[in-house]
Amino acid sequence: MVLSSGVYAIGMTKAFSIFGSSSRPQLGPFEQQLLQKLWSHGSATVRELLADGKIRQAYTTVMTTVDRLYKKGLLVRVAEGRAFRYTPRHTPEELQRVTALESIRQLLGSGEASALPLSYLVEALSSHDAQLLDELQLLIERKRRELKEQEKEQEKIREQV
Amino acid sequence: MFALRESAVSLTFFVLIYCFFSTLVAILWRPLKPADVAQRSVARLLFGLRILPILASIIITFAFVVPSFQLLEPRSIESDEGIGTMPLALAGCALLLLAFGCFRVVAAQTRTARVVACWLEGARPLKSGDGSTITFESTFESRAETPPLTLVGFRHPRVLVSESTVALLSDDELQIALKHELEHMKSRDNLKKLIFRFCPFPGMGKLESAWSQAAELAADDAAVSNPQDAVELAAALVKLSRLLPVAAAPVCAVGFVTGFLSERVTRLLTWDEASTARRVQIRTWFVIPPTVAAFLLATIAYGPVLTITHQVTEWLVR
Repeated sequence: MVLSSGVYAIGMTKAFSIFGSSSRPQLGPFEQQLLQKLWSHGSATVRELLADGKIRQAYTTVMTTVDRLYKKGLLVRVAEGRAFRYTPRHTPEELQRVTALESIRQLLGSGEASALPLSYLVEALSSHDAQLLDELQLLIERKRRELKEQEKEQEKIREQV
Repeated sequence: MFALRESAVSLTFFVLIYCFFSTLVAILWRPLKPADVAQRSVARLLFGLRILPILASIIITFAFVVPSFQLLEPRSIESDEGIGTMPLALAGCALLLLAFGCFRVVAAQTRTARVVACWLEGARPLKSGDGSTITFESTFESRAETPPLTLVGFRHPRVLVSESTVALLSDDELQIALKHELEHMKSRDNLKKLIFRFCPFPGMGKLESAWSQAAELAADDAAVSNPQDAVELAAALVKLSRLLPVAAAPVCAVGFVTGFLSERVTRLLTWDEASTARRVQIRTWFVIPPTVAAFLLATIAYGPVLTITHQVTEWLVR
């Protein structure tokens, strides 16, 4: 197997330059679809991606899009005959983790006063916490109802006996 | 000179053994954390692992290094060898380590005493909803701005319940939350935290945090005896999490609300007696057979071990 010149080390930071200033990856829907497909396959050539017929786009469109993902540093490619075999550089979890880190870094570096973005973050975390507590409270209420119903049923059985 | 050499060698051994065991524990504790074992046992095991380095270094130093030096080192003035730079430096490190440990303990205790004195201002014995004194001893109702529910101190431990907590929780929730804190008191968790302060080593933070988590879950398990209790405890946890956090708790204090709330609540809501009873318990007496075996082995091989220890001592001193 011959490694193409494209298989060079691109650090995580470069890989995430694609995100620009947004906190979400700037990937188009078709790019995301192809990335998902490559994650499920592990690795694939353009022909293999088209093989199951779920992708309706033309071969050249897929080839161009995959090439764009490769140039964004999200894929690694290896020459295989006259085509390339593409493999995702990161697992979905890695991508999510680094995206989050990059977003937080950008957020903290964005304001004139560094405390301001940090306060947004604390606010967001607090609202997340409140949401989590609300969800837990709901679970507790549900469990309480379940226990009360069980108790009533047991009482009924006792009465019948 | 003999006494100085003996102290230097003993301290050198002490610090080397301490570092060796600490590194070993810091690297290997994760695979040793058992699954499907009762949380109290997990907490005990993690505590044992955490204090293993200091225990092993004290035992080995006093059982082997000091006697080997006393018995096998010639005391005559002619054979006085002097002390090498390395053992002197290592003995210095050992003294620094011990001094640092003592400083951390004293600092933690002083800070705890100061903070607790502040929290105890205006505190009174806790009364239950109907006005009678609540059934638990050493339980005080403190001002609203103090932490919601905390166990403080280790010599005379007290549970502090803030006025906000008393107002917020129902009687059942308060009783079960107090039971949880009293389980920490029974397990002497504050004393254990202070012991951790005495034996610092890089990389032990995660082990301590795993112990802390296991201790919380163990206190939950011990406090709860039926699904209703479990729900009341979960409800108390969620309610108290909504209270505004106060300043960070000192070392000799165990707070009721900790970082892994979601996991604790989910665990409590899925509580069932059968699965709790099925979990393996690691009893304290389990350590007796290996300890007896180690003691017998050490007794049988004491002479040769002392000789080897002395040889290593000689090599170190030079």
